[in-house]
Amino acid sequence: MRTSESPAPYRAFRGLSAFFWTEVRVQSHESTAMATSMVVQGVLLVFVFILDRSLLPVAFLGAIIFSMFTMGQRLLNEAAYVRIDHKATDLYLASPLTPEAFFLGMAAGVMLVYLSPVIILFVFAEIVVGYSLPTVLLLVGTGALVWLFSASFGYVISTFFRDNRAIWAYASLIFNGFGVLPPVFYPLSYFPAALQPIALMLPPSAATALLQASIGVTSLSIGAIALAASALAGETLAMFLFTIYWARRKVRED
Amino acid sequence: MPGPAADVSAEPLVARDLRKVYTTRGSPSVEALSGVSLEVRSRERVALLGRNGAGKTTFLKIASTLLRPTSGTIEIFGHDADRNPDRARPLIAVVPQEGKPFFHLTPREQIYTYLRTRGLSREVAQTRTATALDQMGLVEVQDRLAITLSGGQRQRTMVATVIATHAPLLFLDEPTIGMDPFARRAVWAALRELTRLGSTMLLTTHYLDEADALSDRLYIVERGRVLMEGTAEELKRSVGGTLKVTIAGQTQHVDLFRSFGTVMTDGTSLTVIVQPDSLGELMAIAVRERLTTTVGPVTLEEAFMRAVGRSINEDE
Ligand SMILES: Nc1ncnc2c1ncn2[C@@H]1O[C@H](COP(=O)(O)OP(=O)(O)OP(=O)(O)O)[C@@H](O)[C@H]1O
Ligand SMILES: [Mg+2]
Repeated sequence: MRTSESPAPYRAFRGLSAFFWTEVRVQSHESTAMATSMVVQGVLLVFVFILDRSLLPVAFLGAIIFSMFTMGQRLLNEAAYVRIDHKATDLYLASPLTPEAFFLGMAAGVMLVYLSPVIILFVFAEIVVGYSLPTVLLLVGTGALVWLFSASFGYVISTFFRDNRAIWAYASLIFNGFGVLPPVFYPLSYFPAALQPIALMLPPSAATALLQASIGVTSLSIGAIALAASALAGETLAMFLFTIYWARRKVRED
Repeated sequence: MPGPAADVSAEPLVARDLRKVYTTRGSPSVEALSGVSLEVRSRERVALLGRNGAGKTTFLKIASTLLRPTSGTIEIFGHDADRNPDRARPLIAVVPQEGKPFFHLTPREQIYTYLRTRGLSREVAQTRTATALDQMGLVEVQDRLAITLSGGQRQRTMVATVIATHAPLLFLDEPTIGMDPFARRAVWAALRELTRLGSTMLLTTHYLDEADALSDRLYIVERGRVLMEGTAEELKRSVGGTLKVTIAGQTQHVDLFRSFGTVMTDGTSLTVIVQPDSLGELMAIAVRERLTTTVGPVTLEEAFMRAVGRSINEDE
């Protein structure tokens, strides 16, 4: 015989804030990793400084977007490490904490901790370049979207690994490839014209194209702006929703 | 205490004909479970015993909604764990095999934040954390990062984290591995206390004394099948005697003792399982032959070795 007592309704993000703080606490011990998260951006900024200072306004925006983008790589590493090495994922997923809260809590925790060097970079950029308020607001908006895209992407990728050893190679290929090759650190106009629509459809370079347009370095047609903005927003939303689905599915191995 | 969605009238766990075939690209598929049926009743502590690779972890993973079965059904408090895992999850807690706490949390933080992620209030989480740290003997190291803890201390942290949940149904996969005898007994006491509070548990262990001391009932699994089910006493009785006589260093005397009961040899000594009434006669022979003997009760280990050993022989 069963009682007719109805079970608690499903709340998709149950446990999110508590798990977020857990992850912030865990991540905040990695001060070396926080500092080295700026290495690629720092080196590229130094190159730009040496080679062509007039490109610094573009390069700083690129460095910030790139930083938001590589947070997905941190998340990929963290999610795989916790699952494969610690097997702590089992502890959290066989519990009332939902899979989507686990993903988003971990992603947001990693982001919060790795945001501090980005803020330092931003303050430095403001001192050196001095961006207008609209550009700053656009930077915050596109930065958030780029982060959500890459965190979602990184989490999905993390589920494909059974072993931590192979991860760094793939992860650095993907994240540096999409973050450094396309026009993130340099103006869109330097990118082969035929490939520019592709750059406008990749989230990091879509974000920087819009930012470059806002500081007047790159001129974009209305169509190009619409393409970049809708690609960035649409792909992020699609990736995020897919990740929610995927996180739920991947709780269980097949 | 069972949580709000615990349907207390349904059995905590009912598995029917569970099969699991692992398929990995590039390697042959493995049938880890070949039709396991078992149940765990309310407030029972049930042990799953079996050799390495028998399928214990596979079963626990399926039951705890972390692995999909190939076929068969499994219900947690009446909720289909495969089709409706969201209903089952709030009711369970798991100590995964070889699970480790977050290295950059202290035991206190690990337990407390875990309870908070499970939705417990600050006050309850705080009290439960303090109790669990105390029960698991972690008070001295409660504020040290887990990365600085010994293996056994980390394992204690994992167990403390899970027992503090008071979840209606607990799965513990080798919870006491690497623990000293004091810590193991602390775990036993904590689990018994949880039973008193209303929890049910299914655990695995390779320590047969632990299974004996702790479980109300046990299942022996061998090659993905349930080989035996019963209480520890029932299993011990199935060996054919209640006493064991160990004869040191005289494996060549096997034939002298065969008529008394089961004789097992491990290369350096003989073990004869006997009924108390034939002990005198056996000892007389031992004295005559000047053999060094020790007499003790049959343990679950002998019962296990014999049951599983017989099954291996039959298969060969
Ligand atoms: N992910 C996997 N892929 C393929 N085979 C697996 C996988 N996990 C387990 N197996 C196989 O399934 C069988 C059962 O494994 P399982 O981990 O359930 O054993 P166990 O009883 O828990 O053993 P132990 O006492 O060593 O922990 C073994 O033959 C094992 O090799
Ligand atoms: Mg196992």
